[in-house]
Amino acid sequence: MSNLKQYIYFLIIPLIILIIYFLNPFDVFVDGNQLSFVSMLISCFMIEYFIQKAKSGEEIYMRPIPAMKAMEEAVGRATEMGSSVLYVPGIQGLDEIDTISGIIILGHVAGMTAEYESDLHVPCCVPIVMEAARESCKEAYLKKGRPDLYNDRMVHYVTDDQFAYAAGVNGIMLREKPAAVFYQGKFYAESLILAETGNSVGAIQVAGTGSSSQIPFFVTACDYVLIGEEFYAASAYLSGSSEMIGSIKGQDYVKLLCMFFIGIVFLSSIFNYFGIFVFDIMSLFKINIIN
Amino acid sequence: MFIKRQLAIIVMMSMGFLALSGYFLNFSVLREFTDRDAPQWYMIIAGFAAFLGCLNLLQLHIQKVVNKQKNWQYSIFTLLGFIIMIVFAFVYKNVDTPWGPHLKDENSSFYWMYNFIYLPLASTMFALLAFFVASASYRAFRIRNFEATLLLISGVLLMLGRVPIGAIIPWWVVVIMYVSFLFAMIASKIKNRKVFFISFICVNLLCLFLGFQLEWNTSTPLFLLIPSIQEWIMAVPATAGSRAIMIGIALGIVAQSFRIITGRERSILGD
Repeated sequence: MSNLKQYIYFLIIPLIILIIYFLNPFDVFVDGNQLSFVSMLISCFMIEYFIQKAKSGEEIYMRPIPAMKAMEEAVGRATEMGSSVLYVPGIQGLDEIDTISGIIILGHVAGMTAEYESDLHVPCCVPIVMEAARESCKEAYLKKGRPDLYNDRMVHYVTDDQFAYAAGVNGIMLREKPAAVFYQGKFYAESLILAETGNSVGAIQVAGTGSSSQIPFFVTACDYVLIGEEFYAASAYLSGSSEMIGSIKGQDYVKLLCMFFIGIVFLSSIFNYFGIFVFDIMSLFKINIIN
Repeated sequence: MFIKRQLAIIVMMSMGFLALSGYFLNFSVLREFTDRDAPQWYMIIAGFAAFLGCLNLLQLHIQKVVNKQKNWQYSIFTLLGFIIMIVFAFVYKNVDTPWGPHLKDENSSFYWMYNFIYLPLASTMFALLAFFVASASYRAFRIRNFEATLLLISGVLLMLGRVPIGAIIPWWVVVIMYVSFLFAMIASKIKNRKVFFISFICVNLLCLFLGFQLEWNTSTPLFLLIPSIQEWIMAVPATAGSRAIMIGIALGIVAQSFRIITGRERSILGD
């Protein structure tokens, strides 16, 4: 992309959108969401900018994340031991981004199991997730040229109830003794019950969740954990596509911007406290109410 | 092929874009769609999928029993539970309450099964969590490195601060704890045990003497009160750490959603 085009796409267009938004002709936009809109716009254009940069062939460095490297090792270990791979996609429906990320990662894991010819077992808590997981696995096996290894029974429904599901998955773990267990999705109190059982059967465990309250439990009981944004970046990382990795770089730059704003708020709060700069900067961040 | 690939991607992208626009555009029809209609559509589709889930469960376990696959005996219990609950919900209600509301009637067989079989079983699973927390804490608190030691110390302080006994621990005990922690950190630097032990005792005595001189037994500073330390740990380091993770999660969600809405992330559709 030429410099002029870049200039138009990533500076002029967002500026025009912002001007239209703040002019608000014919009352088109909801009032009170300014902060959300501006943050969303900046984030999206920044991510898109780095996607385009990656597309144009620019080398993008991505720091190695042990949990992602361990996924293939775990599947390989299961193959060597002749045991199955258990994949737990969480207990929430497809309206949760965590579950969607879990299903996306499942596609990659299924690709690995197809390649290594090891058994995959995906017990689901929500029927609609089961259908999506089936589709994802089927395609992964097909893509690897091993549709013969796929069968519908590898992805099955257990129950909708949280603890009944935990009991069901624990039973599967204790009976089948999988060599590798993946927990990728939205989890609540059952996270530790599952992870401790997996630990007791000696499985190599790789967890990833967006539930911040469950991360400590997974860190304690699992071998590898995808913490925070690593979980959402996993699919992009595993795909290896330059576009997707570009989006992670864009996300990192948005994070840098957040850090910069945190620093500004911190300094201005200090100045405000000592009466040097009499303006409560926090008020700027309180105007946004999404209703 | 078009329906499975392109159409699915078009639906995914347009729905994502519509859902996002609903938050910013002032169109009542759009807002109604994102707030009410779209979740209802999801519920309807999920409802159909629930039927598929039940069928899948039945099919899987019947096959297991019929073919006498490994551990087929457990499947009998699953099938029994399934059939019994269906019978009590649709065939035999044991009360005069009309069909439907009988599910919430305390005298109905369905309610009895739910109350006296299902609930205790679920509570048992939940109760197991306490034991799992204990075993996980044991593993996490094992002193292997500096971080694990910090975790152990903050864990102990939190536990003490949250129970009544924490409030009655006198300031001098906390002083000894601080000194012990300091000496635990420098222990590897002092090779001579005698010197180490004497200096440990001397520093403790010095601190206690200083405390009595500053009348800490009448007006104890907050950093020597276990409940205050516990509050500080929760309010400052724990909150800072969790907020950092939450900011990361939020940014991850934004990037992931962007990839999905722009149709770059298509693996959810098996592409």
